[in-house]
Amino acid sequence: MATLDLNNISKSFGNTRVLHDIDLAIRDKEFVVFVGPSGCGKSTLLRIIAGLEEASAGKIVIGGTDVSNAHPVDRGISMVFQSYALYPHLTVFENIAFPLRVQKLADADLRTRVGRAAEILQLTDKLDLKPGQLSGGQRQRVAIGRSIVRNPKVFLFDEPLSNLDAALRGDMRVELSQLHRSLDATMVYVTHDQVEAMTMADRIVVLNKGRIEQFGTPMELYHHPATKFVAGFIGQPNMNLLPATVKSVTSSGITAVLPGDAVVTLPVEPGTVRQGDQIEVGIRPEDLVAAKGLRATVQVMERLGGVSITYGVLPGGTRICAALPGDTPVREGDTIDLGVPVDAAHAFDQSGAVLRRRNAPQIAG
Amino acid sequence: MMDRYTFLQKVGIYIAIAAFLTFVLLPFFEMFRVSLRPLDHLMSTPFRFWSDDFSFAAYKQMWISVPLLGRYILNSIFIATSVTTLTMIVVIPAAYAYARLQFPFKAISLAVFLGVNMFTGAVLLIPLYRVLRTLGLLNTYWAMIIPGVAFLIPTGIWLLRSYLEKIPRELEEAAYVDGASRMYTLRRVVIPLAVPGLIVVATSVFIGAYAQQFLFAIAFNNQREYQPLPAGIFEFVGYQQVTWNEMMAASLTGILPVMLIFLFLQKYLIAGLTAGAVKE
Ligand SMILES: Nc1ncnc2c1ncn2[C@@H]1O[C@H](COP(=O)(O)OP(=O)(O)OP(=O)(O)O)[C@@H](O)[C@H]1O
Ligand SMILES: [Mg+2]
Repeated sequence: MATLDLNNISKSFGNTRVLHDIDLAIRDKEFVVFVGPSGCGKSTLLRIIAGLEEASAGKIVIGGTDVSNAHPVDRGISMVFQSYALYPHLTVFENIAFPLRVQKLADADLRTRVGRAAEILQLTDKLDLKPGQLSGGQRQRVAIGRSIVRNPKVFLFDEPLSNLDAALRGDMRVELSQLHRSLDATMVYVTHDQVEAMTMADRIVVLNKGRIEQFGTPMELYHHPATKFVAGFIGQPNMNLLPATVKSVTSSGITAVLPGDAVVTLPVEPGTVRQGDQIEVGIRPEDLVAAKGLRATVQVMERLGGVSITYGVLPGGTRICAALPGDTPVREGDTIDLGVPVDAAHAFDQSGAVLRRRNAPQIAG
Repeated sequence: MMDRYTFLQKVGIYIAIAAFLTFVLLPFFEMFRVSLRPLDHLMSTPFRFWSDDFSFAAYKQMWISVPLLGRYILNSIFIATSVTTLTMIVVIPAAYAYARLQFPFKAISLAVFLGVNMFTGAVLLIPLYRVLRTLGLLNTYWAMIIPGVAFLIPTGIWLLRSYLEKIPRELEEAAYVDGASRMYTLRRVVIPLAVPGLIVVATSVFIGAYAQQFLFAIAFNNQREYQPLPAGIFEFVGYQQVTWNEMMAASLTGILPVMLIFLFLQKYLIAGLTAGAVKE
């Protein structure tokens, strides 16, 4: 059992607080992704879990044992670094064998275990090479190989794919997901790429300024973002956030005036929102359709084939982005109508907290 | 690498290099010329740059004039090698500590090391003499080795520390996460990666040790068999005359083994400047 619990972890460097009361319960064999903008504290949190950095306060519990003061090896973790951190003077074999050499494992045993790791990672014919003779993807696999020979309970990855080109990143994403399934281990994965987060994670932790914004499955975050920050961060292209004024609050929801005087009634729980308040209405580009509603002037069209990502401005200068069908007959400079699907729209109050949607779809998966 | 220089720039560079090399190598050339000529030609006026009776006679005669010459040369190499070895044994862990660990008075102690280096050995000769006498080390090899080590440690630490700092920290963190101790990491990761830097530092320590042994030898040792070459060479200064040609021949012969070593190490020295490209 390798559950990983973080209890009220805080971290300060000198007078700057970079992590605030992080509370997290990760299940056995779960693939959890930490995602957030640069500098939000993802690496720091991962390094605290690894034991490379000491938390200023809080407890780390792995598999039910408090390991807050334990050595990384005793925590049962292993870590893959962003720069791979391969030993350039050692062969691939010795790189993978390094943790076993430290343990003074018998030679025969060591050979079988390195051999098995190399097989899983398709490195068998590369064992005699030095890291400098490998491609980026192969180096990444060696770094992963070094982390799996020790059979750790928890794997930690710090942006392992960020040095690779886009195509290779796609391949490695699939490989890592497969590896997770075949190893049956708990994995914590740090990235600032929301596509990686959405595609690989069982659950995603969205971090912002050292705080957890939300912890949930990818589709939960997509359909039920708890805050404006999560809504803007998850989903590609980013969600449109339109300023709106509340016209009335009724039993069927909130009626609001959008830029260009479009009036919509959103089926959400009003919470503390009152008539006359400013709110923000969040609409995903893929939910906008060609129908009466908002009037936008098209500035840029990105035709991707299947869809045309359309960037425009609303009256008053608010930018809007819509994912329209691939062959939509619209040109740059045209004025188009964009219908707001009220059931798919989100509303956020002034503090950035979401107003609960009543008609949200069932979450798949 | 791209050819970044125009023809004229190249000519300029080569002229500058030639001027520099002439300046550095001319004394050696002069030594060699003197060593080839009979003694009475050296003192002739007007001075003649060229003569027709060059010979290697001095290279034979010197072993007879100063019977211990071979011993002196070996002593020199022995002392410089011992100084270098001991210095490196101290400098490697110290430089690593300064490069990676946090401890009180780190910056100040580093500055003090450099400050101590500003005093040349000459200023400290008398206190050093008393120390060595108290320890009973006068007139032994140790009298020339220990002060040499002491004076070379600070520069060694400064040089090696900056090299070690360039080794990516993540490599050591990876080793730490995999359970390696500091000493294991130093031995299996840091030192192998620092080899080019170690060669550069060892070379400069060796040169320093070679250069400073004269002072310590004449001050702390009057045992003939222990004298290094720079001190032993004084035996060519006779009551009547100085046999300059033999002295120069002996000096060149004494430097020769060291020169050969450096010729061999040269490719590492140059590699040392470009290696360490650990990750892109
Ligand atoms: N050793 C340190 N000393 C002082 N401040 C630090 C230290 N390490 C990190 N920080 C600060 O902590 C904050 C979080 O850093 P961290 O490296 O965890 O960010 P990150 O989320 O991993 O960002 P990125 O996506 O850019 O890697 C940053 O503001 C950084 O300046
Ligand atoms: Mg980071």
